[in-house]
Amino acid sequence: MINRLIDPDQGSISINGTAITSIDEIILRKNIGYVIQQIGLFPHMTVRENIGLIPKIEGWSHVRIEERVKELLTLVHLPPEIFMDRYPKELSGGQQQRIGLARALVMDPPLLLMDEPFGALDPLLRRQLQDEFIGIKEDIGRTIVFVTHDINEAFRLGDRIAIMHEGRIVQVGTARDLILSPADPMVAGLVGSDHLYRHLENLTNRDIMRPVSRVCLLQASTSISSAIALMTDGGEEVAVISDGSSLPGVVWISDLLRGGRLSGTVGSYARSPPILRPDGTALSAISGMKADGDSIALVMNGEELLGIFTPDEVLRRLV
Amino acid sequence: MIDEIQTVWIRYNLTERTIEHLQIFTIALLLAITIGVATGLFLYRRRRYSPPVFSTLNAVQTFPDIALLILLIPLAGIGTVPTIIACVLYSILPIARNTYTGLISVSPELLEVGRAMGLVERDILMKIRFPLAFPMIAGGIRIAIVFTMGIVTLGGIFGAGGLGAPLQTGINLMRPDIIFVAGIWVGLLAVILDGIAGGIEAELKRRFGSW
Repeated sequence: MINRLIDPDQGSISINGTAITSIDEIILRKNIGYVIQQIGLFPHMTVRENIGLIPKIEGWSHVRIEERVKELLTLVHLPPEIFMDRYPKELSGGQQQRIGLARALVMDPPLLLMDEPFGALDPLLRRQLQDEFIGIKEDIGRTIVFVTHDINEAFRLGDRIAIMHEGRIVQVGTARDLILSPADPMVAGLVGSDHLYRHLENLTNRDIMRPVSRVCLLQASTSISSAIALMTDGGEEVAVISDGSSLPGVVWISDLLRGGRLSGTVGSYARSPPILRPDGTALSAISGMKADGDSIALVMNGEELLGIFTPDEVLRRLV
Repeated sequence: MIDEIQTVWIRYNLTERTIEHLQIFTIALLLAITIGVATGLFLYRRRRYSPPVFSTLNAVQTFPDIALLILLIPLAGIGTVPTIIACVLYSILPIARNTYTGLISVSPELLEVGRAMGLVERDILMKIRFPLAFPMIAGGIRIAIVFTMGIVTLGGIFGAGGLGAPLQTGINLMRPDIIFVAGIWVGLLAVILDGIAGGIEAELKRRFGSW
């Protein structure tokens, strides 16, 4: 519908504020690259002819077309000298899809439409092309409208994700927005909001930490006896010690009890846990902690303590 | 044996007759291709006409070729012209039908991609539909070649010249040797031409066919 192959029954579509129905459809389409699942390379044309079809109609010189084709093939990681003169049937599915992408990019369109481009590929190849796609996306810096039925593909590739249901856009947002605040039960079910453990790659430390407001905070000078009292009352196993200036530490109630002393301050039992950035991914935090055998980490934004990251909390949040 | 063939060949000018035959054949076939492809293209543009036109062409096809040649006598007399007319009438159907089918049966994804790229209908027709229909059109032409070969020979019996003429002579003189040599030679020519057409068709399929 965006390229007016179908006209809408209701509603309107605008690109940068211009309603598409007010743009000549041929001009509109030449400014929108189009890639579909079936790829649709013309079987009677070589790779060069497929990619160069529109430039040829636009009257580009032979040399200019050839240069552009080479440039695009390089962009999609296919050596031009090998692939330029092949026919589509001489290419594998993944290679064909790359040519499809190159063809869509030939006029350097400001907008790219991709309709389930990786849908027909096997999972390994799909993954590989997705990785390449992420790179190409950075290289070309174009707006891409990417249609998929695979929510994980959307999470991996999309900067903003619009969920459509029965012809309406139900919600638009980043993967985190959709997972953490789904607009309705349908979105929650689709993105798996109640199975957050599936989304460790998309969640940040900030999303699954225990925020500082719910953390038991102690001064380094607090006496051991009152610390034990405070922590048992609050049902806390661990408390954060901060004295305002230096890096905070943590103290475990088990350490305090095992120490068997009631005099002295908690400062002497303080340990320094690893520090996490709030926008790091939860997955890398968890695997990092697992590798180092840490059972707690602090989430800090510079000097400011935002929260703590503990296995209990992670489990509670995710499941 | 070879001597006899040679005698008949020289005595009845089979070399010139063959050239004459191939000339009539070529003219008829070129006309049939032009009219057939044009008809197919026209019907593709105006699809509602296709059922009546194809019915008519089918009806022409059911006519025995000898009856058609006789029917043409009051209109075109006898000789080369009615023979060519008959050839064309017979050959339009396979060429037009295959052109039409080839043009309309291009896969919808390719057309969708073509449109989405910003190709206008004319470009889609000339750069996508026609090339992809080539193998199909070639198949129609190949059928037309076989028809045309037969009718040109028959026309020769009705005074059009070509290799039908010595056959007629053989029949009149009751000379099986002439009938035999000319008949086998016509058959062989048809097989050779069909073979060449088949080769071209296969090449077009390889080059332009879907896969």
